Amino acid sequence: MSEARLDMPVADSHAADHGHGSHSHAENLKFGMWLFLGSEVIIFTVLIAAYLVFAVAHRDLVKEIHEQVGILLVSGNTFILITSSWTMVMGLRELQRGNIRGLRRWISATALLGMLFFAIQMVEYRQLAAIGVTLTSEFGAHFYAPTMLHGAHVIAGVIWALFVVRQAGRNRYSATKTIGVEVFGLYWHFVDVIWIFIFTCIYLL
Amino acid sequence: MATIAQPLPGTRIEQPKPGLQIGKYFRWSVDHKIIGVQYLALAFTFFIVGGTLAMGIRWELLTPATDLMASGTAYNQLFTMHGTIMIFLWIIPALAGFGNYLVPLMLGAKDMAFPWLNALAFWMIPPAGILLILGYFAGQAEAGWTAYPPLSILYSPGNGQTMWAVAIHLLGLSSILGGINFIVTIRNMRPEGMGWFDMPLFVWAVLATSIIIVLATPFLAGALTLLILDRVAGTSFFNPANGGSVLLWQNVFWFYSHPAVYIMVVPAFGMLSEMLSIHSRKPIFGYRAIALSSLAIALLGFLVWAHHMFTSLTPALRVPFMITSMIIAVPTGIKIFSWIATTWGGRIRLNSAMLFSLGFLSMFVIGGISGVMVAAIPFDIHVHDTYFVVSHFHFVLYGGTVLAIYGGIYHWFPKITGYMLNERLGKWHFWLTWVPFFFTFFPMHMAGMLGMPRRVAVYAPEFQALNQVISISAFVLGLSTFILIYNIVWSLWKRKVVAGPNPWRALTLEWNTSSPPPAFNFYGDPVPFRDPYGYGTKEAWDYLKEQAQELGPSYPANQPPEKAHPVALAPAAGD
Repeated sequence: MSEARLDMPVADSHAADHGHGSHSHAENLKFGMWLFLGSEVIIFTVLIAAYLVFAVAHRDLVKEIHEQVGILLVSGNTFILITSSWTMVMGLRELQRGNIRGLRRWISATALLGMLFFAIQMVEYRQLAAIGVTLTSEFGAHFYAPTMLHGAHVIAGVIWALFVVRQAGRNRYSATKTIGVEVFGLYWHFVDVIWIFIFTCIYLL
Repeated sequence: MATIAQPLPGTRIEQPKPGLQIGKYFRWSVDHKIIGVQYLALAFTFFIVGGTLAMGIRWELLTPATDLMASGTAYNQLFTMHGTIMIFLWIIPALAGFGNYLVPLMLGAKDMAFPWLNALAFWMIPPAGILLILGYFAGQAEAGWTAYPPLSILYSPGNGQTMWAVAIHLLGLSSILGGINFIVTIRNMRPEGMGWFDMPLFVWAVLATSIIIVLATPFLAGALTLLILDRVAGTSFFNPANGGSVLLWQNVFWFYSHPAVYIMVVPAFGMLSEMLSIHSRKPIFGYRAIALSSLAIALLGFLVWAHHMFTSLTPALRVPFMITSMIIAVPTGIKIFSWIATTWGGRIRLNSAMLFSLGFLSMFVIGGISGVMVAAIPFDIHVHDTYFVVSHFHFVLYGGTVLAIYGGIYHWFPKITGYMLNERLGKWHFWLTWVPFFFTFFPMHMAGMLGMPRRVAVYAPEFQALNQVISISAFVLGLSTFILIYNIVWSLWKRKVVAGPNPWRALTLEWNTSSPPPAFNFYGDPVPFRDPYGYGTKEAWDYLKEQAQELGPSYPANQPPEKAHPVALAPAAGD
């Protein structure tokens, strides 16, 4: 995944850090990550908009499926993802205090919560499949496209979190060298925020 | 007062230089100069492939019946590949190549912000191109470069159509990564003392283009994801029989592809601003107007997509989109008039780069006018899906962008390779491109207005005379490309006229280093001249004189006396 690769120049900062102009390599990475997330927002917008166009045209069908599945499971799952954003923040805070062990613990917790989120999403998909909402059904296509893309982003984020934990174990980060964790943090919060939009547009509306 | 940084001791360039080291261009490298050349060379290779397909199209259309092609389907595959290759594998990567090579140099930087990401973005292109072409063996894509459903879903049985979508997806991702890299580089890597409005206009153009790429290409990615799901996973986003919507594709596709038209032309605008000012020996007219109109085009480009859908759109929306489409002509017109004013009263050097720039001006204006014509709804409904549209976008993309790329090759070849291209061949190339270009594409206007539809292998017999004129001109146009190839090969391996650091006496920073530049681009930190387009001043004259003392003489001053033509080539004071 490309987002993991954005992180790469940190590992060999000698090759990438040209120390030119008034901006540091860390600032370049952060700004680049923001732009990348901007383009991600647009991909999700296309898929969520495609869902909304469908949902407006098929209000009754959407209402029926909402009533059959309920909202309890997905609300719990949303809570799990928001919690993982909190653990992410705590991890960065520990790093800024120079506590590498704390960083590894909190980021590991973030990865675990991400995996849990994905597992519960799979349970939800099974429930939906049981009532006939498959990828080839009318509702299913519009529902699965945005949520599966989000799930793929969660998986990519979990892999990235594990990478951050490993890098922390190799002393690649310190209280003054936090950029690798910060860029991952931007990504992870983005995955969280996108989910809140998906939750609102697809499950609540 | 401008000064040139002292070269580090022992790093002064030696002439003659070492060999060309072709091998390094076939390997993974994070040097933006190597990546830039890789983009350009790969794109040019695909240009030859796409051009060969175009020759096939013209051969088929010599007669009203099918002859070269076995069937209509084969013809559909032919023009689908021609369009896709020319857009996604020639024009966009070629402009990315110029951007990669020139932007860090123009900013006085040592490389892009993310060199590794830059290499990754390039190396996604060859596999995508190969995948696209291998589709031939799996039933090639046949739905046109626009891939409208249901044609691209229900009536394209070959796996080539799926491979097409995957390949374009890959190229889109490559494009997004490149765009992010450009924006970060331009925002963060400018040298001390170079504000936004001190940047060369090419850098402005690449910035505007990159903003479009980052904002628009994800729409293509989204649409292609849904298309691939429809083809592979049995969903029906675009299949009306199962509740999908064909207009969803058209909306999302054009929401990318109309801005993409500007991705394909705005960097060419930037190259033109450089070449016209340098070869007219005059400051650019309306620097801020040109810089900001690029941004205006980038933003307005997002508000016009439905003019591609006038015949399928809700009628109430036609007029608003007609208005926004016509408004785009305003920033474009600002540029055209600024360029004309730049050349006005200049000491024009009619070399190949300048000829192609003027060729751009003449042909792009025709494409722009026919663009306003098709933006008018009553006229568009008459010429929709006819050869008029084919003519329009070839005037913009070939008469505009490709001529600018040719000009850019003549202009920056000395910097990239260290050798001059032959001017006599360059002029032959120009005239054998410009005239046949006109006679290839201008008659298409007439064929279109008379009602000849595009994308057909079989046409009414009364169009045959026009089509024969078009085809014969097209063959000459195709052959003229080989003059450039011959010129490049000859200049590199046999002719070897050393260019020196600054043969055009330009003021932008890419010329303030040896040709080709060393691995880290500059000897010490370069100091930009006060005004990148301050030609014709005493200050510029002194700056260039000092530069020549620092970096050594350039063409033509570095030539032995019997080869130099003092009257024609020696610069005058104030030049």
